[in-house]
Amino acid sequence: MAIDKVTLQILANHMRAAAENMAYTLYRTAHSTFVKETEDFTVALTDPDGTTCAVPLDLGATWYPGLYYGRAIRMIDRYEEGDIGCTNDPYSGFLATHPPDLHLWKPIFHKGKVMGFAVGHIHNTDVGGAVPASLSRALTEIHQEGIRIPPTKLYRKGKLNDELLGVMLTNVRVPEQNWGDLKAFVGAMNVGERKVKEMLAKFGPKTFSEGLDALLDYAEHQAREVLRAIPDGDYFFSDYNDEDSPGGHPCRFALTLKIRGDEAVLDFTGSDPQLNSSINIPTGGDPRHTLMLVGVYYVLTTMNPNILLNSGLTRPFTCVLPEGTVVNPQFPAAVGMRSMSCGRLRSLIYGAFSQAIPERMPAAPAGSSSIMNVMTTDDRTGRRILAAINPIVGGGGGMPHGDGSNGSGADSAYLKNTPVEITEAEVPVQVLRYGLKPDSGGAGFMRGGLASWMDFKVFSPHSKITARNRDRSKFRAWGILGGKAGQLSNFIINPGRNSEKILGNTDFVVVDPGDVIRIFAPGGGGRGSPFDRPVDKVLTDVERGYVSVAAAEREYGVVIREGTVDRNATEVLRAERRAAEPQGRHFDLGPERETFERIWTRENYDDLTRLLAKLPVHWRFFVKTKIFDAANAAAASGGGAGIGVDALYRRVREEIPELRRMAG
Amino acid sequence: MSYRIGVDIGGTFTDFCVFNEKTNELTPLKVLSTPATPGAEVFEGMRQLGERHGIEPSRVTGFTHGTTVGINTVIQRKGARMALFTTEGFGDVLELARLRMPDTTSLFCARPEPLITKERVFPIAERMLADGTPERSVDEASVKAAIAGARAKGCVGIIVSLINGYRNPAHEQQVKAIVERIAPDLFVFCSTDVWPVIREYERTTTTIINGYIHPRVAGYLTSLQRALKERGVRAEPLITKSNGGVMSAELGKRACVGMVMSGTASGVMGASYVARACGVSDAITLDIGGTSADVALIDKGKPQFGMGEKIGDFPLYMPTVSVTSIGDGGGSIAWVDDFGVLKVGPESAGSDPGPACYGRGGTRPTITDAFAVCGFLGHAPLGYNAVTVDPAKARTAIETIAGKLKRTVEDTAEAIIKVAISGMFVEINKLGARYGIDTRDYALMTFGGAGPMMGCFLARELNMKRVLVPMAPGVVCALGGLIADMKNDFIKTVYLDAAPAAAKAIKATYAELEKKAVAWLRSEQGFKGKYTLTYSADMNYQGQSFEIEVFLDAKKAKAGDVRHILSAFHKAHEAIYAFSDDNAGARIVNLRLVIAGALPKPKFARLRKSTRPPKPAKQIEVRFDGKRHKVPLYHRADLLAGQKLKGPAVIAQDDATTCVPPGFAGTVAAHGDIILSKRG
Repeated sequence: MAIDKVTLQILANHMRAAAENMAYTLYRTAHSTFVKETEDFTVALTDPDGTTCAVPLDLGATWYPGLYYGRAIRMIDRYEEGDIGCTNDPYSGFLATHPPDLHLWKPIFHKGKVMGFAVGHIHNTDVGGAVPASLSRALTEIHQEGIRIPPTKLYRKGKLNDELLGVMLTNVRVPEQNWGDLKAFVGAMNVGERKVKEMLAKFGPKTFSEGLDALLDYAEHQAREVLRAIPDGDYFFSDYNDEDSPGGHPCRFALTLKIRGDEAVLDFTGSDPQLNSSINIPTGGDPRHTLMLVGVYYVLTTMNPNILLNSGLTRPFTCVLPEGTVVNPQFPAAVGMRSMSCGRLRSLIYGAFSQAIPERMPAAPAGSSSIMNVMTTDDRTGRRILAAINPIVGGGGGMPHGDGSNGSGADSAYLKNTPVEITEAEVPVQVLRYGLKPDSGGAGFMRGGLASWMDFKVFSPHSKITARNRDRSKFRAWGILGGKAGQLSNFIINPGRNSEKILGNTDFVVVDPGDVIRIFAPGGGGRGSPFDRPVDKVLTDVERGYVSVAAAEREYGVVIREGTVDRNATEVLRAERRAAEPQGRHFDLGPERETFERIWTRENYDDLTRLLAKLPVHWRFFVKTKIFDAANAAAASGGGAGIGVDALYRRVREEIPELRRMAG
Repeated sequence: MSYRIGVDIGGTFTDFCVFNEKTNELTPLKVLSTPATPGAEVFEGMRQLGERHGIEPSRVTGFTHGTTVGINTVIQRKGARMALFTTEGFGDVLELARLRMPDTTSLFCARPEPLITKERVFPIAERMLADGTPERSVDEASVKAAIAGARAKGCVGIIVSLINGYRNPAHEQQVKAIVERIAPDLFVFCSTDVWPVIREYERTTTTIINGYIHPRVAGYLTSLQRALKERGVRAEPLITKSNGGVMSAELGKRACVGMVMSGTASGVMGASYVARACGVSDAITLDIGGTSADVALIDKGKPQFGMGEKIGDFPLYMPTVSVTSIGDGGGSIAWVDDFGVLKVGPESAGSDPGPACYGRGGTRPTITDAFAVCGFLGHAPLGYNAVTVDPAKARTAIETIAGKLKRTVEDTAEAIIKVAISGMFVEINKLGARYGIDTRDYALMTFGGAGPMMGCFLARELNMKRVLVPMAPGVVCALGGLIADMKNDFIKTVYLDAAPAAAKAIKATYAELEKKAVAWLRSEQGFKGKYTLTYSADMNYQGQSFEIEVFLDAKKAKAGDVRHILSAFHKAHEAIYAFSDDNAGARIVNLRLVIAGALPKPKFARLRKSTRPPKPAKQIEVRFDGKRHKVPLYHRADLLAGQKLKGPAVIAQDDATTCVPPGFAGTVAAHGDIILSKRG
């Protein structure tokens, strides 16, 4: 490496400044409140190959420091100064990860040579398709998820491609908003170009180019240092989404993490077949696809807060992503709600790392954030109102040095809430309660973070409530090292009334005047034995209303009577409870998952994986569903536990002659 | 003779700026701060002023003071133990805050523990609706239970903040009355008295900071008043405020939250005053001290104001001069990571032990040590003999990392400066992008003890063409206090559609705000002079969840001229966000009014003129751009108006050292400020 380590740091600072400049420009000039509130956008600078070298830290989404633009860039033949390429098609180069994300890239020239690209993405609120906002778990193929633009030039030599823009805007529901955001986005690309040109003047093209390579090497080195400190070994873990499609069976993600020195293989074999819903993750099988490594970025940053974020971090990692599975779906699988699966992928990765370095990892964060929208009518004005109200977010997992954070945290720390007073001034609803849910955090030496909880009332008929990304209503955020799993999430209409309706994993409901909607997130997992938690901390939790008196006794073995701890009774109870605890278990997965896995053992899943892999892709989800139906039927008749997948498959084949014919 | 004194307490030094009302001369002075015994440094400074400059307390006609007592109370969490009374069902308002974490990339991210933890939050059974109608009246029994709970927890004060109180403060007032009746020994603050604005977390946390620092601030100000009186100062001390103005110390005892950011704010006010005096209207101020480095934007002669500035771990939602921290100043520590890369900060040697070259026990290399090794420091004592610089100690400290970089000590020192400058470059670049300005069009106004030392290097990195170094860069904050107005902010949330129907409400609200403002200035402050009123509104397009402040024509605002208000909003939106939409519905969230009573401003004395080139005190050897250079060292006191000098050069003075790299040329302006311009 030719560049010296002082110049490298200076270049790193200038690259970061350029990236931050792009981000602030986009944030400041974007039109949609969506961009400003959710910060669902990224900007970055890449090398001439399209490898991300620098990202901003202040603003934007946290998923894309390892995003690779090269495949999409090369789908356009040649570039000239002033060109800007764009795509939002998840299946063209596996750059965009769902259709609402429009990516841009602008080549930056120096004496006729491309020195790098200014790049980024912006999440459009709507890109057309079957449903408003273009996202629904129920969609089954990419064509329902909005207009798709393959890699195309949006600008040629600085001139806007009006025809392309016309097609784009004709196909979306709020064209003026998309166009407003796009203008801001192009502005950010131009700022990136200008800043890189300033760097080229300051450092010279040679130092600049060498510097980009060195920045990638630097991040790679840091990632390898983290890996080197982790014991070699194979660490297996699996985790589930509640449902693989609306009302469906659980969706499994499996990972064998193989640490070898300063490298790691992440083998996702054993994950579900590609689904007939939109929670597939489009990776194209890229062994270093950024979506598969988001959990890894969090682990690396947690282990070394000074880590440089760029694609160099991904180099020591290789993902195995079998084709035709939920982590590498074939066209035209729907992918719009891949964020739900990505959330589970992250907890999957934390679970694997927590076995390798238990002393440094937290328990599972809640792992589900419901984005709440209300569509109702203001009876005073007759105006229809569509408004986002609070995201309902769960807590962080218990940490080595402290309790999980309450109400949000870990990998969902970027979400903001809406003040109750703004919601009530803006939307004709009344919030009855907004706070933390007592007892929702998994018990532990370090308690899991509490879930947030909201009750609100509507006043107008046919009010529509959506709660996007609902999950963890069936499987809990797991605890580790003796800590307990957190509480489940739920979505309930009219709690405690005769008309009470429990919606669980459902994400859409229509309600009428006077109806009360209750929604709460899952809690984070606990870490370490709750019977070791200092008694005074349990008492404080009780005083704060985080833990009830009953739970203090039941979960922590701490007996509290009239506000004070009964020390003797506590000692006796704790000794009893400690003796009864199962020993040597790393995870507490919660009773629901334990029950489920009595049938769906690892062996059964291995058999299922093998069996499905032999079938053509378009048969797999169907057959999985049938096998699960058969297993449930067997369980209902009392023959659940111990039943093998082969036996179940035989039943399915008997039922479906076409399958017999096809699979031989 | 009569004098006005400005005093500003910083982390390392306490700065004095004395203005002689007869001769228009400014006398600066620095003494070491005494954080352990706040106030002692003020009296030490008064003693030295008397001893060295013959300034007698009885001649002091004005005493303006910026203090860190408030902010330190929050940072060190040594404030009052209080209880929060809030609407039943919303007791987690402090724990949830606005949900987003300070750090979003680590699994170990955490929100800071609130100043009032949940066991001291008590529910009040009541409910006010969003339109200001009470749905459920205050249940007195719940208030009594809350008071009993607060007492049991040993609280000395109560914060009352109820949902939708901004719309109708009646319930908060009722609760307060009950507390005052039953528990007159507890202090009580209502959110709608402190800052009656929509958004429950922001309003509550601002009110809490006010209560949290109230006992300490009141105690401090009382002893300051007493001690000044005992020493013969007859003027009532004024306290500088976060909004750049001043208020009487007496008022500051209850309106504490208004003075939390007093020091940084008055620095920017002082800097903008000096910039105007130099004929510069667009500037970025750079204030680098021993423990902090702050930048602020002055656009068309005006500092920027914002809400949500950070006080320790907490945002403060009151109008505050916008200042952005860009690092920890001259004390930031240089180190080498395991990839061999040189890093500067975020760890800092702070004021104790401080840089190694100060000889106060520091051993790790800091930015200040790098400047010492490069030969820029040590030619004159810093801070009026408070500190002497020992370059040998700086060398020893830098040697500890030079080996890891495989560089010489000088080389390493220069590398530290470069990396530190590039780190500041990132932050100023962001500032430019945030405000949508091109920093190249602005002058860099450097002050604080280390600002003039780093300013030109930073300007060079940013391609800024002009750098200003004020006459007394070390005491600009103290100067800011001397030029401040008596000033206060008033706000009311109206949440109105910006439509003709709103005119009546706007008119009535402004009339109400004006009445309050004038009462504040005339009765509470006893101010008899002229005042100005500034009208503004916080507005947004429907659906936006943030507002921008729109300045309004006074007459039209008072008359409730909605057309004027709308067009001002579209224009302001265009200016900030580069677009506006005349067809979209707009909303007026808050109406605001600022009252400012003008205090007499100092006029700076003009320096003697000279057309001759300045005479250097000596030639010194300094290192920059990879080489040693023999450069002239000027004493600031020797420089006369109109004199020109060329870089490379070093200018030493009591409170700062100015480095002038090659390529910069300087002119001494009429009042002694130096304007450095980059050639080419």
